[in-house]
Amino acid sequence: MSDDIRALSETLAADPSSVVFVQLGEALRRSGQVELAWRVATRGLERHAQRADAHDLVARIAIDRGDFARARREWESVLILAPGHGGAQKGLGFVCFQQGDLDEAARYLRAALADDPRDHALAAALDTVRASQLDRRPIEEGPTVPAVVVDARTLFNEVLGDAPQTAILLDADGYVVAGQYLTADGRDLGADIGAQLSGVSDEANRAMRHLGLGRWHQIVFEAETASVAMAPSGGGVLLVAAPRSVPLGYVRRLLERSLERVQRWMGRPA
Amino acid sequence: MTSPFTTLLASLIRHRGVTGCMVVGEADGMIVDSSLQIGVNGDAFAALTASMYRKARRAAAAAGFGATGFFELDAEGGRMCAAGRNDLVIVVVAEPRVNVGLLRVEMLKALESFG
Repeated sequence: MSDDIRALSETLAADPSSVVFVQLGEALRRSGQVELAWRVATRGLERHAQRADAHDLVARIAIDRGDFARARREWESVLILAPGHGGAQKGLGFVCFQQGDLDEAARYLRAALADDPRDHALAAALDTVRASQLDRRPIEEGPTVPAVVVDARTLFNEVLGDAPQTAILLDADGYVVAGQYLTADGRDLGADIGAQLSGVSDEANRAMRHLGLGRWHQIVFEAETASVAMAPSGGGVLLVAAPRSVPLGYVRRLLERSLERVQRWMGRPA
Repeated sequence: MTSPFTTLLASLIRHRGVTGCMVVGEADGMIVDSSLQIGVNGDAFAALTASMYRKARRAAAAAGFGATGFFELDAEGGRMCAAGRNDLVIVVVAEPRVNVGLLRVEMLKALESFG
């Protein structure tokens, strides 16, 4: 248990009505303790149902648990309590996209982008939704100029090829912007894997602030079954994972090529 | 004073570009033994690198990737490498020019002496 989580837990234990549950729930979520985060957040929400940040937290954790319907309800509550809430608009854009409601997704993402025009990950997400909208148009309504449509989920396919390695681009909140992590039975675990590993880059950012080594540009680590490489990209982080049979130097090259792919996709330096 | 880690630390610090190496408790980030060049803030590197290593190990385990061995961070001003076993982590601080491949092999070999 990290010192932060311990301290927050003690504060909440001393005063169960404290709003510190929001920070504690988020810290637990980021540390990968999703079920514990869920219990803390939902109990807190029962006491503080009028707090937009409590609904926002429950929505984020619901996403981690794969419960998009609950996340949507919570973010809709956030917008009632705090109209124009950027995080809720962004979250609803993501949920609507996942549920195939592209018009609503575009509407929410446009609103979120208007709120924070410098969020490049958000701009990329909106591009993806627009591209998907174009993809769905009947042929007779198609654009007069052929557009290059890229499915965000398959963004890295040309870099990775058919090999079992995978790449995921996450935004600053740990949401998947592009890429996927497919299991042998075809399930996409990108959101789960990304949520777990994005915390490593948060820890690196914290360390860099204290050590005076400038910005970090790459993290590589070897686990029992996979090698993982990550790099900052567009305000978030790009992850590449490959089986241990893939040489570590090659995993680094894949990361560099995937960063270039993101750069081309976003039309700006990654 | 010598410790069970003196020999391995002496071997790591000899690498070109290495400015410090330490054996650190993974849970508390405290230095068990170290060999540092003057000016290297061993306590800060030990605590923060152990913390990052711990985070990576837990995240990798939660993601289903199993136990973590070697960890490396490249930054503008240098590199940090870590490898752990049995609650101890070898932490190496180095300049960007260090031969990290060689260092990795030596660190993983040194881990075997941790039982």
